[in-house]
Parts: sequence; structure tokens; C-alpha cells
Amino acid sequence: MSEIHIDHVSRHFDDNIALADVSLTIKEGEFFSLLGPSGCGKSTLLNIIAGFLEPTDGVVHISGKDVTNLPPYRRNLGMVFQNYALFPHLTVFENIAYGLKIKKMSRQEIKERVEESLALVQLEQFAGRRPHQLSGGQQQRVAIARALAVRPSVLLLDEPLSNLDAKLRKEMQFELRNIQQRVGITTILVTHDQEEALSLSDRVGILGKGRLQQVGTPLEVYRAPANQFVAEFIGQVNLFEVALSQTNQPSPAGEISYEAISHMDGNIQPLALAATQKPEFKNGQALFMLRPERIQLAFVPLDLTANYAETRLLEMSYVGNALRLKVALAKGELVIHTPDPMFAELPKPGDVLYVYWNPEDLYALEAGE
Amino acid sequence: MYTGTRKIYTLWKRASRMKKTSTKKKNQLFHWLFLLPTLLFFGVFLVLPFALLIKLSFQDVDAMLITLNTYSLSQYIEVFSSPVYLGTIWSTIWVAALTTVFCLLLAYPAAYLLVRAPSRKMRALFYILLVSPLLTSVVIRTFAWIVLLAQNGLINDSLLKLNVIQEPLSMLWNMKAVIIAYVQVMLPFAVLPIATSLSETHVNLRNASMILGANRIQTFLKVTLPLTIPGAITGAIIVFSLAAGSYITPLLVGGRMQPLLPLSIYQQVMQVFNLPLAAAMSISLLVLVFIIVGLLGYILKRWEAKMNG
Amino acid sequence: MGKKRFSLLDFIVWTSGILVYLFMILPVFVIAISAFSPSEYPEFPPKAVSLKWFTAIFTNPQWMDSLWISILLLFIVTPITVVMGTMASYALARLEFKGKGLIQAFVLSPLMIPQIVLGIALLYLFTTMGIIGTITGLVIGHMLISFPYVVRTVSVSVSNLDPRLELASMNLGATPMQTFFKVTLPLIKPGIIAGAVFAAVTSFGEISISLFVSSPSTITVPVRTFGYIEQTFDPSINAISVIFIVFSVVALLIIEKTVGLSKVM
Repeated sequence: MSEIHIDHVSRHFDDNIALADVSLTIKEGEFFSLLGPSGCGKSTLLNIIAGFLEPTDGVVHISGKDVTNLPPYRRNLGMVFQNYALFPHLTVFENIAYGLKIKKMSRQEIKERVEESLALVQLEQFAGRRPHQLSGGQQQRVAIARALAVRPSVLLLDEPLSNLDAKLRKEMQFELRNIQQRVGITTILVTHDQEEALSLSDRVGILGKGRLQQVGTPLEVYRAPANQFVAEFIGQVNLFEVALSQTNQPSPAGEISYEAISHMDGNIQPLALAATQKPEFKNGQALFMLRPERIQLAFVPLDLTANYAETRLLEMSYVGNALRLKVALAKGELVIHTPDPMFAELPKPGDVLYVYWNPEDLYALEAGE
Repeated sequence: MYTGTRKIYTLWKRASRMKKTSTKKKNQLFHWLFLLPTLLFFGVFLVLPFALLIKLSFQDVDAMLITLNTYSLSQYIEVFSSPVYLGTIWSTIWVAALTTVFCLLLAYPAAYLLVRAPSRKMRALFYILLVSPLLTSVVIRTFAWIVLLAQNGLINDSLLKLNVIQEPLSMLWNMKAVIIAYVQVMLPFAVLPIATSLSETHVNLRNASMILGANRIQTFLKVTLPLTIPGAITGAIIVFSLAAGSYITPLLVGGRMQPLLPLSIYQQVMQVFNLPLAAAMSISLLVLVFIIVGLLGYILKRWEAKMNG
Repeated sequence: MGKKRFSLLDFIVWTSGILVYLFMILPVFVIAISAFSPSEYPEFPPKAVSLKWFTAIFTNPQWMDSLWISILLLFIVTPITVVMGTMASYALARLEFKGKGLIQAFVLSPLMIPQIVLGIALLYLFTTMGIIGTITGLVIGHMLISFPYVVRTVSVSVSNLDPRLELASMNLGATPMQTFFKVTLPLIKPGIIAGAVFAAVTSFGEISISLFVSSPSTITVPVRTFGYIEQTFDPSINAISVIFIVFSVVALLIIEKTVGLSKVM
């Protein structure tokens, strides 16, 4: 059982709280990503799991064993580092054999294991090379082979793809997922790249300001973010603040109308919202989120009373398969993503656009944190 | 902000448009003019004296040790056929090598503290402790050892007072004293390059080793030590050449009679006045140091090529 | 701070490291402190405190002569070496030619040449030239020894300098000379200051060459100290040591304040 239990773990650096009371369980065979902006505590948490840092408080269990006070070399983990950390004075073969030699395996066994690991990452012919003779992608694969050669219970990946260029990164993501599934090893990936995290992982843990903000599948964290932080961190988002003072009565269709404040600049904007969800009011305030791709465009005025606005185009970028727009409301702004529209001509800044969306696309968020 | 960027951009444009060849030539001439005084100075005061010294080393002397205008290999033959001088050469190498080894051994923990001390202030303190003796004259640093090790010196004094010993130990005027003083005088030259190497080894390399199952001692031996070899060799080169060529320290704590080549040379110049023999010994010492330094330099190059291509 | 486990290994490493630092610093520390002892032999710790031996030094005309020679030398050697060394390091950084590596090794070589050999070579040359025992001879010897320090510190500064800045300056119409003084020099100033401090300290403490090329009228402080130690030892040498130590600490402070120690070493 290579489960990982993280139980009320905190880490302070002098007066700085890098990690505050994080509890988390990572399941056997799962590909789990720790996602967050830099300084959110994700590396601190990974270093605590690896044993490079001791938690100020809390307990870490790996495979049912309390490892909180075990040094890294007694934890039987595999790790791939951001700069790969291949030993420059050793060949590829010696790098992969490093952990096996420490375990005092026989020469024959080591040879078999190294060859098997090299085959896994398709680098059989590079055994005699030194790290500096390899490309970034090849170094990356040696690092993976080296980590897996010791048959670790858990594989830790610390921003392993951030040094690669965009195209290679895509290839390596695919390969990483492939290898992980073939080996079936519990894997924790630390990254600040949300696309990487969402596309690779079974589940994602989002860290912000030293706290675990949400744990869920990629679908859950995108569609149902737990709070404003997660909503804003994963993808782009339009936020509407609504006040409690209204008498909100459900319509026959089950929709409730609100008077909203567009969140972009905080100005009051007489925008009528109709939502199917009922938000929880905190201090008389509640938040609705609207993803940019849920907004529809029209070039003629529509006869709608809610979830509709007349806007002026501010900025636009056309990226081939999609169009990204920023439009001005009477007060405030909206971000809109639409698939490559079949316009004969692209709209120009200053053009009037009419936007609308469905009541079910408004998702109620916890206000504040 | 914008105007600044704009200005730099304009400069760039102009820089790339300029006529390269003529400016380049003008610059080159300018740079050569800058180098000229140094070349002249070193030509006259480093190349010339060594040329003269080499010439002198081949000159003969008469019975009164007057330098003659005849040339032969006789001085070198005397150096390399006399068992006394051969023994001296051997012990010079041996003492310099021992000094180097001790310096390297002591340098590692010192460099470790210098690089890994938890606070900036602490690192600065170690830095000052390391560099301030380096900036104090070698006479003074050697003198300290006389004060400590002499018959009526501080160590004997304290041991006598504490009744640890009844008779003062004779710690001065032997090769041990020379090596102790050498190690103390030259240690900073070994610590600094090792500390530089150590600070350049990425923490992730040690972490990678430990996560692969190596404990801290294994990690040091298999990762940190090999990666700091360039620093250690650089330190060894400096310490060895200093230890093989110094005469002040051995003269003061070892005495004139220690079998060390620099001391023999000193004696030939200051007491025997056999200049050609002193010259031959000097050139031999110089070549010896160059061979060993060259060898270490070669190992260093090979090692670095292996690691970095 | 996290819970820190006691580690025997850490303890051993730190203890041995601290012992090494003590080994490096204690001898000098001990003689400096015992300079304040009034007794005829260096004592540690001194039983009483007196400035007797400092007075002895500062009222002794021979020591004062030597101090004067040493300071005079320092003030001649430092500026010449710094100007020449700066020009050379700058030129070597900008020029590309075959044998450049050789020239670089050559100007750094006085550090590696056995000091006794350098001393004798200069003794012989100066005797031939008739400048043995003169201040000129001492200046030349000290310049040779200080030169590598200046080249090393200035070269580091020059290599950190973006050559495109100079290109930009010349494109605005500045001559190479104007560019050097208005752009390059201000930017490599830290390296030059550090080089100057090292040159001064090296000259002030130099003995191996001075011993061969000085005469009774040009005895520097280290040479006089050497002669004195050979004959006797009383705490007046300790008092001299304090002068040297103060000098080196001042040098360190200047470097720390202007450049930062860790940057130049």
C-alpha cells in the first residue's frame, strides 16, 4: 500500500508560515498534482514528503509507516528534480546504477535493472554518455529512469518539465503519464503550470498562501472551485459580487435574480443576473463566477432582461482556434473566450457587442478567501 | 521607463549599424597600448632576470667561488649527483606534499562552515577569520609559532605550570614545526577554492543522492567530494608551489639546517656566495615546481572536461 | 524553526571546522594580546597591561625608519601597480589573440614562482643593473608580487561588464579613451579598489624578495622584524604584529564596505 497520509502538517521558517495545517491523502497508484503559484508552499510540502525538511507540526505516513522523523535515505522514494540533478561526474549508466549500488545489489542485478530502466525511457544506446552530452529532454528521461530504478514506493516530481521548451514539454507530459501508468506508481507532481496539472493528474491539490485550498479531480477544480482563490488561479474568470439586500424570489423556472457588481473594478453596475444556484451570503455579500468561454456573442441587440449586457470591445487577440476578448460594460469589464467564430471579419476595438449567458453557467463561490 | 527603453533601443540600432572594421582596428591599437607597459615591465623584470639566472646556472666557478666566463653543466651535475642535495630535493617535495595533504584535510570542514553557516553574519565572521591572517605578513604569522613552540614559549610555559611536563619539550627547530607553521600559513589558500567549489554544487545533487538511499557520509564521498575536486586541486596547486618555494617560514621555525631546497639556496647566496650553484638549484626548484603544478593542472583539466565537456 | 534533531555528524563537522578556524586565528591572536604584557617575554594572558613595547617601537629610530620605508613603498607601489594592472586586465579582457592565455598566466605567475627563486633572480639582476639596495629595486620587487592580485580582482570586474555599453558609448561619438574613462572605469571601480587594497597589504607585508634586495638603508618593517626574530624575541615584535594585524583588519573593512568580501575572494 503506497498511500500517503499528510496529517495536520505545518512548516514555519522563523516567523514565516510556509505551510499551515495541511491534511491530505494520496491514494495508491494515483497521479496527484500539487498546484499553486510560486511561494504557495507546494515545494515545502514536497520537501517534507521527501524528508529534506522536517515539519514544524504534523505527521507524514507513507505506506502506513510514520516517516516524519526518517531521513530521506530511509524513505524509499524516487524523485525527479527541476534541473534533473544528474551527477555530472558519472555516466548515464552510473547515474541510474547509483541507488542500486548503495543498496549493495550484485553487479549482474544492477546491469539488468539499469538496462530495464533505460529501455523504459528508450535511451538504451546512451548508457555510456555523460549528462552534459545529452539534450534537455534526454537528461529528463535519465532522471526518470534513475528515480524508478530503485523501485520506489512513490515518485516525486518537482517541476520536472519547467526547463523544457513548449513542444518538448507537451511530448514529455504524455510520456510521463504513459510511464506512470505502465509502472503503476503513486506519483506526486509539483507544478505551477495549471494546464500540465490538469492534463496529467487523477486529482489536483491547489495550494495558496500556505493552505490547501481544494482537492479534487481536474473537472471539479475547474467547474466547481471551492473559493475565489481557486477560481482565479485555475483558468480565467469573471466575478460578480451580489448583495443580500435584495428580495430574491425564485422565478417559475427556478432562477433567482440578483443585482450584481461587476468585480473587475468594483464599481456598481446595474447588471441583472439570473442564477439557478443560491449562493451563501457572508457579511451580506456573495460571489458568482462566470467562465469566459460560457459567454456568448451577438451583433444585434437581444430581448433579454437578465444575464445580458451591451458592451464595447476593448482588446482582442485571435489565436487561431479561439478568440479572446476583453469588453467594457457600462462599468467594469468582462473576459470572453469563444471558439474561432465564423465572422467574415474580426470585430475591432470600439465595436458594440451584445453578450449573454445561461443561468446555469453562474457558479456561486464562497466570498472572500 | 518607456523613454529609457527607447533610448537603449536606438543605441542598439546605431551600434549594429556602425562600421565594424575600422573601429575594431582602432580599438585594438588602443588595447595594445594599454597592455604595453605591463609587457615591458614583465619583460625587463621577470623574463630578463630568469634568462640571466639560467645563464648564471651554467657558469663555472673557480676555487675561490668566483664566477668564471666558461660554461658547463657542472653546477647541475653537482646538484644531481650529490646525495645531500638529492636528499634535500626529496625532502622538499615530501614536506610540500605533506603540507598540501594536511591543508586539504583541514580545508574541507573549514570550507563547509564557510559555505553552510546558517546566517549571513556567521559566514562573514568565518570569512574574516579566514582572510585576516592571509593579509598579515608571513613573518608575523611565523613569529607566532616561535612564541608558541619555543623552549620558553607559551605552550611549554603553560604545560610546565600545569605540571603536565617536567622538562620543556623541544618543539621548535624541526621539520614538524615547519609543517605545522606551513599548514597554518597556507590553509586559507586551500579553503577558498574548495569553498567556491562547494558553493557551486547544487543542493539538488545532494538531495538526489539521499533520496536514492545514500546517507550523508555516502553522499559526501560519492557526490560532494568528486564535485569539489577542481577546487581541491586548485588549492593544492597554490599550497604546493608556496610550500616548495618559501624560505622565510622554514628559516624561522626550522632553522638553517633543515634539508629544504629553498634553505640550501639561501645558504649558497647569503653565506657560501656560490651564485652559479644557487642559480642551478633555483632553476631546478623552479622546474620541479612547474612539473608538479603542470601535472596537477593537467588532472584538473581532464576532470573538468569529463564533467562539463 | 523546525524541530531540530541532534545529529552527531553535524556536531563532528562543526567541531572540527571551528577547531580549524581556531588553529588559523589563535596564534596571531595570542601574540597580539601578549604585546600588551609588560614582561620581558611574551606572556599569555598578560599579567598586567602596558603599552611599554609599543612605546619601545615608536621611540626607536630604526623601527621608525623602517616604518617610513614601508609606508613610502606602499604609497609608490600601490598606485603604479593599480594603474598598470587595471590597464593590462582591461586590455587582456578585450583583446583576442593567440598566446593570450600564456600572457595571462605570465602576469599571474609571480604568485606561483618559488619566492626564493624570484628573490635571487632579482638580486642578480639588480646587482647587474646597479640598483641593488635602492628604493627603486624594492618598488620593482613589490610591484611584481602585488601585480597578480590587482589583475585578479580587476579581471573579475571587467568580465562582469557588458562590452555593449562601451560600444554604445563609442557610437555616441566617444573615443576609446573617453569611453574607458567615462564608462568602463566607473563600472570596474570596485575591482580596482579591492586590487589597490590587496596591493597595499601585499607590499606592506612582503619579505621574501625584500630580504634579498634591500640594503641597511632600505630595511622594510618585515625585513627588520625578520632580522630581529633571528636574534632574539621580546614583545616588541608582538607590538609590531599588532600594527600588521590592525593594518589587515582595516584592509578587510575597506574591502567589505566597498565591494563585499565574498565577491573578491
